[in-house]
Amino acid sequence: MNASTITLHVPQRSKIAGRMDFFQMASGVLLILFLWAHMLLVSSVILSPSLMNGIAWFFEATYMAQIGGPAIFVLMVVHFILAARKMPFKQDEWKTFRVHARMLQHKDTTMWLVQVISAILILVLGAVHMFVVLTDLPITAAKSAARIQSGWLYLYLVLLPMAELHVGVGFYRIGVKYGFVGRSKRKWFQKTENVMMIGFITIGLLTLVRFMLLNIQG
Amino acid sequence: MQIHHTDVLCIGAGLAGERVAVEAAMAGLNTIMLSLVPPRRSHSSAAQGGMQAALGNAIMGDGDSPDVHFADTVKGSDWGCDQEVARIFADTAPIVMREVAHWGVPWNRVVPGKHTYYKGGKPFEAEEKAEKAGLIHARAFGGTAKWRTCYTADGTGRSVLNTLDTKCLQYGVTVHDRMQAEALIHDGETCLGCIARCLRTGELVAYLATSTLIATGGYGRIYKATTNAVICDGGGQIIALDTGLVPMGNMEAVQFHPTGTVPTDILVTEGCRGDGGTLLDVNLYRFMPDYEPDKSELASRDVVSRRMTEHMRKGLGVKSPYGDHLWLDIRHLGEKHITTKLREVYDICTNFLGVNPIHQLIPVRPTHHYSMGGVRTNRDGAAYGLKGLFSAGESACWDMHGFNRLGGNSLAETVVAGRYIGKRMVEYTKGATPSFGMQYVDDAHKKVQERITDIVTGRKGKENAFKIRDEMHDIMMECVGIFRNGKDLQKAVNKLEELYDRSQKICLSSTCKGMNPELSTALRIRGMVKLAQCTAYGALMRTESRGAHTREDFPERNDKDWLNRTLAYWKEGASMPTLEYEEASPYYELPPGDRGYGGGVTIPNELPPEKFVIPEAAKENLKKAKL
Amino acid sequence: MNRMLTLNIFRYNPLDPDSTPRMQTFTVQEYDSMTLFIALTQIRDEKDPTLKVDFCCRAGICGSCAMVINGRPGLACHTQTKDLPAEITLHPLPFFQLLGDLSVDTGSWFRKTGLQIEAWCHSDDKAFDPTAEEMRMDNDLANEIFELDRCIECGCCMAACGTARMRTDFLGAVSIMRVARFYLDPRDKRSEDDYYEVIGNDQGVFGCMGLLACEDVCPKGIPLQDQLGIMRRMMAMHSVKGVLPRPLIETIKKKGCCHAHAQS
Repeated sequence: MNASTITLHVPQRSKIAGRMDFFQMASGVLLILFLWAHMLLVSSVILSPSLMNGIAWFFEATYMAQIGGPAIFVLMVVHFILAARKMPFKQDEWKTFRVHARMLQHKDTTMWLVQVISAILILVLGAVHMFVVLTDLPITAAKSAARIQSGWLYLYLVLLPMAELHVGVGFYRIGVKYGFVGRSKRKWFQKTENVMMIGFITIGLLTLVRFMLLNIQG
Repeated sequence: MQIHHTDVLCIGAGLAGERVAVEAAMAGLNTIMLSLVPPRRSHSSAAQGGMQAALGNAIMGDGDSPDVHFADTVKGSDWGCDQEVARIFADTAPIVMREVAHWGVPWNRVVPGKHTYYKGGKPFEAEEKAEKAGLIHARAFGGTAKWRTCYTADGTGRSVLNTLDTKCLQYGVTVHDRMQAEALIHDGETCLGCIARCLRTGELVAYLATSTLIATGGYGRIYKATTNAVICDGGGQIIALDTGLVPMGNMEAVQFHPTGTVPTDILVTEGCRGDGGTLLDVNLYRFMPDYEPDKSELASRDVVSRRMTEHMRKGLGVKSPYGDHLWLDIRHLGEKHITTKLREVYDICTNFLGVNPIHQLIPVRPTHHYSMGGVRTNRDGAAYGLKGLFSAGESACWDMHGFNRLGGNSLAETVVAGRYIGKRMVEYTKGATPSFGMQYVDDAHKKVQERITDIVTGRKGKENAFKIRDEMHDIMMECVGIFRNGKDLQKAVNKLEELYDRSQKICLSSTCKGMNPELSTALRIRGMVKLAQCTAYGALMRTESRGAHTREDFPERNDKDWLNRTLAYWKEGASMPTLEYEEASPYYELPPGDRGYGGGVTIPNELPPEKFVIPEAAKENLKKAKL
Repeated sequence: MNRMLTLNIFRYNPLDPDSTPRMQTFTVQEYDSMTLFIALTQIRDEKDPTLKVDFCCRAGICGSCAMVINGRPGLACHTQTKDLPAEITLHPLPFFQLLGDLSVDTGSWFRKTGLQIEAWCHSDDKAFDPTAEEMRMDNDLANEIFELDRCIECGCCMAACGTARMRTDFLGAVSIMRVARFYLDPRDKRSEDDYYEVIGNDQGVFGCMGLLACEDVCPKGIPLQDQLGIMRRMMAMHSVKGVLPRPLIETIKKKGCCHAHAQS
């Protein structure tokens, strides 16, 4: 408690700092779970486009896409705002951190910069992706393939690894920050995380390849 | 010059200084603590082993009492200690251990049930009592009849210091760190504070205080190979000796620790041997039982150090580029024990020696470790010669250690003396009506300023401080070590006299605006040479062997002529100290006798019977001390 | 072995108006078991006595000699030259106030923070009874408390903390650990609310970004991040009491928590 801030009023015990931190973590976890589910569902196209269509139809019919979609978007924005409190938007903060990271040559410190940059890219590219998809419901394999083939591929080639990286590192960092991943488990966790990250990026790339090769006319 | 006013001034912020500061601050007195380093960096933090107190909770300490502790302490001191003080210490130590536990020290506690302990490298089983569960536990240390050393793993100094420091924080003790006390301010009768040099800016600052405490630890840095920290340069003793009024007690009583490591001189705790570690020679033969069949490795430190040196002189030491050494073996204690209860030892071995003590032997040899001598005080911690000046801890010769202190007794002394002397200081401070004559502040300031000018300008001569220091180191190592003799000591005294003369003519070899670190060293050297001379001269004149003071030419303990304490004064303008002697103890609750280890012959003393009676006043005082 | 070592040392004397920050190079002959402490002492004794560098225990126990060694904060006395390349670059610790050359003022910062987080056992000291037995305590708990009391306040963790570098009011893992030490201690009578008041904010637990450097550079190997994580979870769960269902809070709190004793 800073004595200079309690001069004007009787202070109330505020729990806002803890709640913000908790909801930053909770929104992160939800987004991670969503993204993984999303990747698995979309990748069903690899097995068969009609399987993917079936799944999409299910989400459409239960209104999960119409409501869930915008909700995820809001969640993403809220998560960004909460997390952005820590971002080095001031130039001297940015510079300090860069100099520090270069001096220390420390993986977890450098990875945080990756988090910051990927967060901003995801916010922009993810928003575009969501807008395009959600304004053109229902989702079908054919429509997605058409989009990919018409030049959107490049967007996804950036968004996919950025999202997976952010989610992978973020997942690990939540575990660390909240004391779930202790010192003895850290190495194992990092390795698992790397495997999962590569796994998801591979699945994502395969999905993209599948979309590229999908015959839109048929 | 900046002037600070305070009720109590503590010079030194180790365990003793902080304990006194807490006592004063809790009594509502304004307290300032000066320190060369931030308080938690004080050398007390390096003490690994523990604190002796007769709590008697551990099964191996069963039946222990302050009486047994008292007897161990007096025997350990080779009857050189003040028995009234040793009694106060032994009787209040358990209270103080509980008090710091109340404040937050996480002492290791008794775990009931069967445990495997080690003695002399051999395992045995003992069952801790269920009714003692959760009380403060104890481990074995050398020279004791019972296991009574309270500990927190092997970071006892660290954890007690941290706890006391939290209390200083809580009770608002003002800490001025990076301050080097350069001179006491006094009017010839009363101490009024000190002049200190700020190690941030190089400026002089005056502190005026009703009572001043010297708690600056030992002066081990007069030796080259010492386990003491770089800051243990005897700063407190120097400013007291410089007054010409305050004597140093028993400066020749210097302890060598059996297990300083080679080549870094970093100490590994006595707990290693207490927990069952053994000493081996070049043939990996365990030699201590041959010399000390009863106590083996766990005889008192002076004895073990001497036996080790004796054994190496027989050519049974291990040869190394850094000189001969012996081995300490703790491998049999097992990985778990070594990495938990002896973790600092494990860290030191792996980080500084490149030795893994779980599988390898640790190279050790006796290394300078502790100064039993220091600012001579009376029972209440008040220094001889100046009113309002107190001293506690290693810097003092309160004199519960006599000519050899037991492991675990000095760390305990810091807080036990801190509590007792702190209370006496509070009484004194509350009753005193000092008048701070500015002329005495100016006098002291002028003296320090002139010395600085001498050194900076080189107007007195061109001697190099580092060179004088190195020469002092060499002569102390060569001639005032574990085994001493008249010829070598005379050589040391002559050389130190010459060095003292040269130390008045020091000149800086560098210039630097603000604080110059070379000046800090240069200002200290003269005083260090003085302390070294008190040590060497006292040792030369004491023609007997007692405790850690071993004369090859006078091997017996001579109670007839030397049952006394050396007081070394350094009169203004003198080139040598003046020695006086006082009786070792006001009375002898435990009559002089055989220690039961170490061997040797004693020339007895016929003391009058009234010397064996405890005076009523002492009994009264002891009762008060326990409240 | 026995290389010629080149030490590039940061020099600056803030008290001298003519002094500007610069690097100065010294060469030292290496020998067996040499530590940076020995190398720097040699430089000071023989080459440049004005070099400001703090040494005290020279045994890795007091924490005085922390500095940035080839980019990494660490203790000079604890660092053997054989583990370093022949060219060694030394900087003072960032984050703390520079006193000159390699010397920084860690003491003032730790004292100031100690006051801020009230790092002492909040109990009734006057209630101490010299004739009574001490309060009993489980030995495992005593060990756990000591585990958190082993910090030597060298400052390496703060210098390595990216968060603290950007936001100088961040208390750092070391302060959280100091609080955790008292949280664990049954002798400290503070409530969760009281602790929340002290560290439940963005200067405290919620400011940490999980960069882990604190723990990775700690010369004593103290689990700083683990401890901070546990405290952060406690504090976060404390803040959502009444928002989330109690059983959920309890489950999350207990998950992987090494503080079995504090829970009971």
